[in-house]
Amino acid sequence: MTNSTNNIEAVDTIIENSQVTPLLRDEIDQYQVAYEIQKGDIHTTLSLLKNAGWIQLSYLSAIDWPEENKMELIYILFNWEQPVYVQIRSKIDRRKPEVPSIIQIFPGAKYYEREAHEFFGIDFPGNPDFDKQLILENWDDIPPLRKDFDPSSYSKKKFPSRTYPDQFSKKDPDNKTREKQTEREKRANKLRTGGGKR
Amino acid sequence: MLSTKYTKKDVVKTKTDRKWWEIGDYFRRNSLWMLMYCTGCCAIELPPAMTAAYDMERLGMGPMATPRQADILLVSGYLSPKTLRRLVYTYEQMSEPRYVVALGSCPINGGIYHDSHVVINQLDQYVPVDVYVGGCMPNPESLLNGFVDLMEGIKNKTADGWKRYHEHYEWYKENQKHSLGELIIHDEFHE
Amino acid sequence: MKKMKLFLGPQHPGMHGNASVHLYVDGDIIKKSYLLPGMLHRGFEKQMERKLWVNNIALIPRVCVPEPDINEMSFAMAAEKLLELKVPERAHWIRMIMLEFARISAHLMAYGGLGGPTGVYTLMYHAQADRNRILEIFEKISGARVYHQYIVIGGVRKNLPKGIEEDITTLIDDLESRLDEYRDLGIDNASIVKRIKDTIMLPEEVVWDLGVTGIGMRSATNKPYDVRKVTPYARYDQVEFEVPVSDYSDARARLDIKLKEVQQSINIIRQSLKKMPEGPVRVKPGRGQSMRWTVPKGYVYAPVESSRGEFGYYMVSNGGTTPWRVGVRGASYPQGLLGIEKYLPGTRIDDAALWVDTMGVCSPEMDR
Repeated sequence: MTNSTNNIEAVDTIIENSQVTPLLRDEIDQYQVAYEIQKGDIHTTLSLLKNAGWIQLSYLSAIDWPEENKMELIYILFNWEQPVYVQIRSKIDRRKPEVPSIIQIFPGAKYYEREAHEFFGIDFPGNPDFDKQLILENWDDIPPLRKDFDPSSYSKKKFPSRTYPDQFSKKDPDNKTREKQTEREKRANKLRTGGGKR
Repeated sequence: MLSTKYTKKDVVKTKTDRKWWEIGDYFRRNSLWMLMYCTGCCAIELPPAMTAAYDMERLGMGPMATPRQADILLVSGYLSPKTLRRLVYTYEQMSEPRYVVALGSCPINGGIYHDSHVVINQLDQYVPVDVYVGGCMPNPESLLNGFVDLMEGIKNKTADGWKRYHEHYEWYKENQKHSLGELIIHDEFHE
Repeated sequence: MKKMKLFLGPQHPGMHGNASVHLYVDGDIIKKSYLLPGMLHRGFEKQMERKLWVNNIALIPRVCVPEPDINEMSFAMAAEKLLELKVPERAHWIRMIMLEFARISAHLMAYGGLGGPTGVYTLMYHAQADRNRILEIFEKISGARVYHQYIVIGGVRKNLPKGIEEDITTLIDDLESRLDEYRDLGIDNASIVKRIKDTIMLPEEVVWDLGVTGIGMRSATNKPYDVRKVTPYARYDQVEFEVPVSDYSDARARLDIKLKEVQQSINIIRQSLKKMPEGPVRVKPGRGQSMRWTVPKGYVYAPVESSRGEFGYYMVSNGGTTPWRVGVRGASYPQGLLGIEKYLPGTRIDDAALWVDTMGVCSPEMDR
C-alpha cells in the first residue's frame, strides 16, 4: 500500500486543481481528512472524487445546530487502493432545508437520504420517494432528531409507566434517605455544566 | 389487513367441564409449545436455552412455527409500537388457553429505554402477562426457572391471563388505542 | 401473469432478526421485493445525546446484538482520537483478543443459521453449543455473558483473571480440530448442496453501486479489502494473518470464507497471548471530576471491521459533557435495504431467507 501522507496530498491536489475552494481543511490523523465546502459545490466535489477513485460512499447524515440556525450535511467517502477517509461537510439553512439528491453519482445514497428526511426534515429533490416513512410508523410530531424535540415528555404522554407505592422501603419508614438523595442530586446538577475546559 | 374479528364469550362454569379442564391442564403443563418470535434483544439467549447447552426439551417444551397451534407467546425484551401492533394481532390469533411470558426488565417498567420516544413502558396494559423473568439479559437458567414457575401456576390455576383478557376487553383495547393510535397495519408502505 | 403478495414476515422460523420482507411472486419466482425495517428501533442516537460520556458505555453494546464488542471499540476509538489519549500497551492486546472472540462467535452463529432455512438442524445445535462455550469465557473475563461493557475510554476495565490462558488455549485447540467436521456438515453436505451452489451470485459492478463491504465484497472482487489491513488499529499490524478471498461469488464460497476467517482469528489469538506485555490496563481520561470530563471539539469517524463489513461511529463533540451527535454506520444497511430491492427479483422464494443469512443482514444494527 502506498504511504499515507502521499494519499492525503493526492486528495489535496485534486481539490486544488478544481474550481472548488474549501472553507476549512482539517487533518484528523494519518488516514482521515475533512473539508468544509459551500452548498453549491457538493455535486462537483463528489463527482471529482468519484472519478479519481473514491468510489465507496460510507455514510450520509446530518447534524443540527440550532443556535447558528443551520443544519450541516456530511458525506464520507473511501478508496480501498489509496486508503484515506474523506469527510465532506456543508452547512444549509435550517428553516427550509433542501439539498439536491446525489443518486446519479452514488446510487447507494437512496435510503440514507430517506432516513435523513425522516429524522431531520431535509428535502432531497431528485430522489423519487424520499418522503415515505421508513423506520417510524404513524409518526405525528416534529422530526425526532432535532434539538427542540424532548423524548421524555413524549414518552410520558403516550406510554404511561408503572407507578410504585411511595412507602417502598421497610427499613426506613420516614424516608430520610430520600432527603439525602435530593441534596446529592442538587449538588450534582450544579456541576453539570462541566469540569472546566481542558 | 384488519385484526381478526373478536367475539367476547363467557368462560365455562359447569361441573363436568371443570373435571375435563383438570385433566387437560395436566397434559398441557407437561408439554407446552412455544411460538418462535424473537422480538427484542433478550432473544439472543434463546438458542442456548433451546438447544444442547441448557436443554429445554427435558421439560417437554419445543418450538412451534405458527401462532394458531402454540401455547406460549414469549415476549423477549423491549417493544416498539411497530412491533406491538403485530404482536397484538398475533396474540389474538392464538387459540385458548394461551400464556404470555415476558423476558427482561424492559416489559416491567421500560428498562434502560424508559425515556425513549419509541419504546413502550409497561406491557401489562396492552396484553395480560403471566410470568415475568427479570434481568438485563437474564441467564438461560433463569429462563428455565420462569417456565417451571409457569407450570406451577397452571397447576394452581393462577395463570389465567386469557380469562382476564375476556373480562376486561374494553380496558385493554382503550389502552392500545391511546398508545398506538390505530391498530390497523398499513402494508402499502412502499407503493 | 398473476401476482400474489406474500410476507416473509417478522414471525418466521427461518429468518434471523425481526424484519419483514414483502414479496410479489408469480408462481415461485420473485418479481419485486422490499424490506421493511424499523421494528427494533429504539431511538439510540437521540438517547446518546442526553447521557454523559461514561453513561453511554452502558447503553451502546445493545446496538448490535450478536457481536456487541465492536460498538464499544468504535466508541472508545472515536473519543480517544478527540481527546488525543494514549492507551497503555497491554490494553491494545486484550482488546484484540475480545474482538477476535466476538468475530468467531458471530461467524458460528451465522454459519449455524444455515440450519433454519435449509433444514439441517444438527449443524445449528453444534454451532450454538460451541458458541455457548465462548460466552462462558466472556463471563470469566468480564462478568457478563452477552453485554460486556469491558472496553472503555482509556483502555480496558480490569486486568485478565489468573488461569484464563489455559482455558482459552483448550477452547481454541478444540475448535480448530473440529473445523473439518463443520465443513462436512454444512457446505459439503450432499443433501443441501443444490441450495447453496451457483445460487445468490453477486457480480462485481453491483458491489460498488450498493456500497457492500465485508465478505460480499471480498468474494465478488477477489481482493483482500479489509479494514484491519488497510487502515490498521489496535496492533493489528504486529500480528501475521491472511485475509481469505475467492473468485467465484456464490453462497457456498461465502460460507467457505467464513470458516477460513475463523481459522485466521484463532491464529491471531494465539499470537497475542504470547506477545502480550505486562503493565497497567487503564488510563484516566480527564482531570478533576472522575466521571464528568469534557471532550474537545471535533468531528471524527472511527471504523472497525466487524464480521459483516465496515462498522463505524461518527462522533461530533461540542466541548460539553455529553456528545453532540453520534451517528452509527451499520454494516448491513446497504446489504439489507438496497440489496433486497435490487438483487432478489428473478430468484426463487427460498433464496430470500438464504440471502439474509449468507450476506449477513443483522436487523438491530440497521434500525438502531
